[in-house]
Amino acid sequence: MRVTVDVKGEDTHEIDLESVPTDGDAEPTYQDLLCEIELSPHEVSVLVDGRPVPEDQPVDSAELTVLRLIKGGSPSAGG
Amino acid sequence: MSDLRLDATQLDRYSRHVIMDEIGPEGQQRLLDASVLVVGAGGLGSPAIQYLAAAGVGRLGIVDDDVVERSNLQRQIVHGDDDVGRPKVESAADYVTALNPDIDVEPHETRITAANVADLVDEYDVVLDASDNFATRYLLNDHCVLTGTALSHGAIYRFEGQVTFFTNERSSKAADEDADAPPCYRCIFPEAPEPGTVPDCATTGVLGVLPGTVGCIQATEVVKYILGKGEVLEGRLLMYDAMDMTFETVDVLANPSCPVCSDDPEIESVEDVAYEGSCQISAD
Repeated sequence: MRVTVDVKGEDTHEIDLESVPTDGDAEPTYQDLLCEIELSPHEVSVLVDGRPVPEDQPVDSAELTVLRLIKGGSPSAGG
Repeated sequence: MSDLRLDATQLDRYSRHVIMDEIGPEGQQRLLDASVLVVGAGGLGSPAIQYLAAAGVGRLGIVDDDVVERSNLQRQIVHGDDDVGRPKVESAADYVTALNPDIDVEPHETRITAANVADLVDEYDVVLDASDNFATRYLLNDHCVLTGTALSHGAIYRFEGQVTFFTNERSSKAADEDADAPPCYRCIFPEAPEPGTVPDCATTGVLGVLPGTVGCIQATEVVKYILGKGEVLEGRLLMYDAMDMTFETVDVLANPSCPVCSDDPEIESVEDVAYEGSCQISAD
């Protein structure tokens, strides 16, 4: 399956799922796909049809949207 | 119809609002009767505070435990050179008082924690998150979901900004769980990244005018929400790229297994969560 990964604010990638190395799993996961485009699961959220998907699940969609997590705002506002 | 109490000075001050069909004297009175808590008096908070005060939001709370530093002045425009070393909430409160005497400004020089979030947030109609750290973002999200408090979200990084709005009107969401229910922040980003894995403005820099744009959009959404006019960014994440001067919105839906806003949430109190690290539910 050919997967389109639209990283919002950055590039769109076309990836052949069969070429994605897996971490011992039979099928590539969303996390494997992120590694393929050099993104860390810590810094993004993967959406399928607008809903976040668990990154350890096998890829079952040909169209993915990736949102980057950013945190800037007001230093030391709380928390 | 709201009880109209605008005096002659207010009719003059807010005349450009009052003459608009979408606002009018009733809408201006709604703004004057409203209360907003701005969490963070820095880059995002500064323009938000300015425009909410100028618009006549009657009660404005400001939370921050920091003091003004000279390196803040490139973007945190409620503070001036003479304010360096002062608590940010004091400097911001002085700005508001000088701008608009109609506003009851309430400075809270403290950090928001699970222990004080209810005391701070529950006194206000809307929360504007202008913080810069994930612990505060997840804490505000969880508390606002649990209490049904509207929350404006904004974040910035170098030349990029993200804005969205959560009305947290859970009844409408629960009634239509299989349809296009809007998300909360945890639906979009279920867990915070481990500390140090996502860079911040202090280490990567930020275009000084960027938080001005993003903070103004947050203030716009809050004003619209108070007025009950227009379409707020609920269920849409607005992404702004200052370098390319592009805006893009991404539709985002609720996560049916969200730990805080789903029908069967794991988080029923902010006490259930350790607001550090990845902001997950406490093991104990």
